[in-house]
Amino acid sequence: MNIKAFFVDALTSALDLNIGTPEDVLRHVTPDVLSVSLPRPLWARLLTACLGSPRVDARLVVDTIGIPNLCEHVPTSIIWACFADMAARALGKEVAAPTRHDKTASGRAILAPPPDINNAPTATGAPVAPVSVGTSAAPQSPDAGTQPLQDLISELEQDEPRTGRPPPLRSPTAQRFRQSNTSVGARGLGASARRPQAPAPTSLPRPTPGRHSNTESEVEPQTSVETADWGQKEIAVDDSQLVDWQTDVGSASAITGDDDFSDLGGRKR
Amino acid sequence: MSDQRKEWFAKVVESGLKNQIFNPADVLAHATPDVLANHLPPELLSKVLTASLAAGSMTPERVLETVTPELLAAHLPHEVLWSCIAAAAARAGVTNVVVS
Repeated sequence: MNIKAFFVDALTSALDLNIGTPEDVLRHVTPDVLSVSLPRPLWARLLTACLGSPRVDARLVVDTIGIPNLCEHVPTSIIWACFADMAARALGKEVAAPTRHDKTASGRAILAPPPDINNAPTATGAPVAPVSVGTSAAPQSPDAGTQPLQDLISELEQDEPRTGRPPPLRSPTAQRFRQSNTSVGARGLGASARRPQAPAPTSLPRPTPGRHSNTESEVEPQTSVETADWGQKEIAVDDSQLVDWQTDVGSASAITGDDDFSDLGGRKR
Repeated sequence: MSDQRKEWFAKVVESGLKNQIFNPADVLAHATPDVLANHLPPELLSKVLTASLAAGSMTPERVLETVTPELLAAHLPHEVLWSCIAAAAARAGVTNVVVS
């Protein structure tokens, strides 16, 4: 008795005569079955064919492996199930669901395929998409997957008054300091000999929110210039910040503007 | 019955006989004289009888020499052929399920 040759004849003729399709074969000879049944050289051939083909489908798999190889290596009970399904369909009977082959003939477990990704729309009609806010380790509430993004935004907006301050915006005078490599200190002004600071005008141009919208991450101390009484307050000044005008004769001109170094533009030391 | 289905069952039965999955006696265990008598055309029944008379006996092998797998598939209900195949597979231990 040569049951494998019989199966080869039966399946080959079934495919030739359109009694069955390669999809019918792979419904039973699943990738899991192939993974434990097919020898590695045949796997190499299959992978090569799949990589070289623009489309991978059941026909490519069956044609590449070949019915004789399938019948040779796949357990006969599985080939039989495939064969029986084709026959049942040919006889007009209802085809039963493919049998789960949880174990191979050698007792090795066959893993079930991973569950389908649930892309079903939610009750709101929107598909569920993972939303990552903050660190990835942050715990998520059970209904986090269905919470609309708008809720999160409104929640963040409610947090702002709790802190008692508006979103940090840079004032126009924020960039007071040059970078250390701009050699300002080499122009006769030591680190301890700062120029006297003129009082800032009370009416400064208001910051344009749109201009600094991308710098919200730069947190600065609160420097609100919009309050009316800040100019009347006495500001504590350290003596080291003051300039001894009598000894600083060389610098005749005192700059009273807002760090206007335009008069030094052409000078070289 | 479609021609393709007939051809397929003919090939399956032929392969089963060739590969000794089942033998002519197994076929006639399902394709009983009653089934043959009710489905084979008269000229074919005549041939079977003529061949048997000439040989002096009617054996399953001789019947299938006349009623070839192609003719079986052409005239007999395919359920009968399938029951033969399924029973042979069950005997071979391929499956425990005997499809009726």
